[in-house]
Amino acid sequence: MYTKLTNGIVYDPVHGINGEHRDIYIHDGHITRKPLGNAKICKTYDLKGKIIMAGAIDIHTHIGGGKVNIARMMLPEDHATDLVEKTELTRSGCGYAAPSTLTAGYRYAEMGYTACFEPAMLPSNARQTHMEMADTPMVDKGAYAMLGSDDFFLRMLASKKDQAAISDYVGWTINATQAMGIKVVNPGGISAFKFNQRKLDLDELNQYYGVSPRDIIKSLARAVTELGIPHPLHVHGCNLGVPGNLDTTLETIRAVDGMRMHLTHIQFHSYGTEGDKKFSSGAAEIAEAVNKNPNISIDVGQVLFGQTVTASGDSMLQYAGHWHAHPKKWVVMDIECDAGCGVVPFKYRDKNFVNALQWAIGLELFLLVDDPWRIFLTTDHPNGAPFTSYPHLIRLLMDRSFRNDMLASINKEAAAASTLASIDREYSLYDIAIMTRAAPAKSLGLKNRGHLGSGAVADITIYSNNKDKEKMFSKPDYVFKDGELIVRNGKIIKVVNGATHTLRPEYDNGIEKSLKRYFEDFQTVSLGNFKIDDDEIVEHGNGRIIVQPCM
Amino acid sequence: MSALTFTLKNQPEFTLNVASLIPENLAGKTLAKIKSLAVIYGNETVKLGTLFTVKGTDPSQIFIEKSTQKLINIGQGMTEGSITIKGDAGDYLGQGMKGGTLTVSGNVGCWAGNAMSGGRINIIGNAGDYVGAGLPGDSFGMTNGLINIKGNAGDRVGDRMRRGIIIIQGKAGNYCGSRLHAGTIIVLDKVGKLPGEGMRRGSIILAKKPELLSATFKSCGNLKMQFLRLLFTQLASIDKELALFSKYGPEAHRFSGDLARNGKGEILILQHYK
Repeated sequence: MYTKLTNGIVYDPVHGINGEHRDIYIHDGHITRKPLGNAKICKTYDLKGKIIMAGAIDIHTHIGGGKVNIARMMLPEDHATDLVEKTELTRSGCGYAAPSTLTAGYRYAEMGYTACFEPAMLPSNARQTHMEMADTPMVDKGAYAMLGSDDFFLRMLASKKDQAAISDYVGWTINATQAMGIKVVNPGGISAFKFNQRKLDLDELNQYYGVSPRDIIKSLARAVTELGIPHPLHVHGCNLGVPGNLDTTLETIRAVDGMRMHLTHIQFHSYGTEGDKKFSSGAAEIAEAVNKNPNISIDVGQVLFGQTVTASGDSMLQYAGHWHAHPKKWVVMDIECDAGCGVVPFKYRDKNFVNALQWAIGLELFLLVDDPWRIFLTTDHPNGAPFTSYPHLIRLLMDRSFRNDMLASINKEAAAASTLASIDREYSLYDIAIMTRAAPAKSLGLKNRGHLGSGAVADITIYSNNKDKEKMFSKPDYVFKDGELIVRNGKIIKVVNGATHTLRPEYDNGIEKSLKRYFEDFQTVSLGNFKIDDDEIVEHGNGRIIVQPCM
Repeated sequence: MSALTFTLKNQPEFTLNVASLIPENLAGKTLAKIKSLAVIYGNETVKLGTLFTVKGTDPSQIFIEKSTQKLINIGQGMTEGSITIKGDAGDYLGQGMKGGTLTVSGNVGCWAGNAMSGGRINIIGNAGDYVGAGLPGDSFGMTNGLINIKGNAGDRVGDRMRRGIIIIQGKAGNYCGSRLHAGTIIVLDKVGKLPGEGMRRGSIILAKKPELLSATFKSCGNLKMQFLRLLFTQLASIDKELALFSKYGPEAHRFSGDLARNGKGEILILQHYK
């Protein structure tokens, strides 16, 4: 049984297809070559003038885990003002900045996304994260386990355990928590916060353990490389949001000695201290460094104006930022001595100098980094803006005159301090297809996603070309998930459950001996209960596990 | 012009959200148009005319007759005019109300005057919990206006209230004025346990000793407070009905608290004129 998509214009950067007319055949949930003459084609979609891309992949979006739930609990007004009624197919939900799990899944699918990755899964919170992701329908998902501020790792590092043991621990964590990668948040800083340090620079020592963020990043990046984890170490660096953190970020890039590293929401790490207000854009320097170092990939964490909520594991920075909470309430907490979490609602204002410049810095980064294969489109949902604003962001990147109109409406001083007006670059549909599809899939090691070649999973999004790219990308004509049509004209017509992507790196299980002792002495659960079984994810047949190969 | 009168045809079986029946919403609408307004009944949206008979012409004076506790969100966000309810009213009476007058002849449910910022609510019967409070997640409860209850009120009167006056002529439940930011609550009969728990500023004025006062309130002794005289005179000038305070003098036993918060609030226990 074949389905044929005909007459469409295909953008498939993995195969270098840039807007060419191609027919696509779907068979058994996968894209195939043209079938032999006698094969029966059951359904043909005539896509004259329409644009075909692979299903979009969000590499960094907080859709699960403890902190989003705290945001949901803390912001009933966010829910009361954005109610989603149930329909015959979809269930009810609510929320704009921190939508409910179901609503998040539906909204992603209605925007043409078919996979989302939760970047901050605390190992001790992994079960909760997987449950929330199981409740997120329509899309495939996966999560990065968060290490770097947990007691066991810091003890290992402080006692100068050899790299092999650390790699074993990292591999064990990925296995036990069903993760897709490793993230480090404010390396050692979350722990340092608990010992009354209120800032931690790259070479500053955590007072208790006597290790620096540089040691932590190097050690984890080594471990990720040695274990062959496809996605490079996902780094949320030191000094997020601090003016002058530009130097820290550049130093972090140098610290990994050419090992692969992904710097996440780098917009928040690209601030200088020039100008009267001691706050300036460091986008040019960061972009230059990224262009020069092919081992570095970034996602931007673009800020867009409006009410949102910042939810981060970085309790040190969230504590520093709680004075700006809007509405005035916030949470900063420890989680099981593994790390921490902070939730601060925030409103980005276009007339505010700092917020407006943050907006401009994000866009400058997008436009100054040359290689779209190493920069991903994110707003760090919900920290910079909710993911529903991606189409608006795409329009800002693709439409220079629209961008300049927006630039004219923001804070005048910020607009003057930014070089954005002088940048002519406009993203093409091909570039967008790279940064939202091909590149994330490549970075995550998803071999059969993010492209439209034979053998790929038939996650396909089809748009009508429109001059207004915001309209175009907010309402795809068709979305296929695993070969099934799930969205037509921007509305869900079939509800499906996506799979959970995981890795099974090889490591020496001898590490469990020391872990077992540690768990008995310090942890709140036993080692056996800490690990997440496949059955828990596959529960009632709603979930599916796809094990991605390691390198 | 006669008052616009809505009479319930039958006793509603489910909750009936009548938030749209406010003077500014009905002004300039014909009777036929008013009858075709949508109201939420249970989990359905129905036309108003199927549930109510409507007569009268003046939308600045609204009467709701044969009302029951199933009618919720009466007078939500109203800014002017008056709504008079014959019978009981349900939850969220006068939610987010900004002006005008709401009068209920019977009892009302919970969350009366929830997050109101002006105007006046008169309740002849009893009120439920959370009078003049805010919804979960709101920073503040009521931020201005006056609520006058002739009967009793439930627990947590004026929870997180910011400004305004709540007068309860009957009894009040536990945690009266809990987490009070500022504003004035007056209770003339008995009050339950732990009034003013977690209050920051503001005054809770009681005519009788509370059942239990938290240890975090400190007695300042009996004081003569001219402020009370001013307050009572002012209230009497608002409405003749509120002249009842003339029997209370300026002398009161003052407790400051909640010292577990910052101790800038006060509970005053009025002493009768001898």
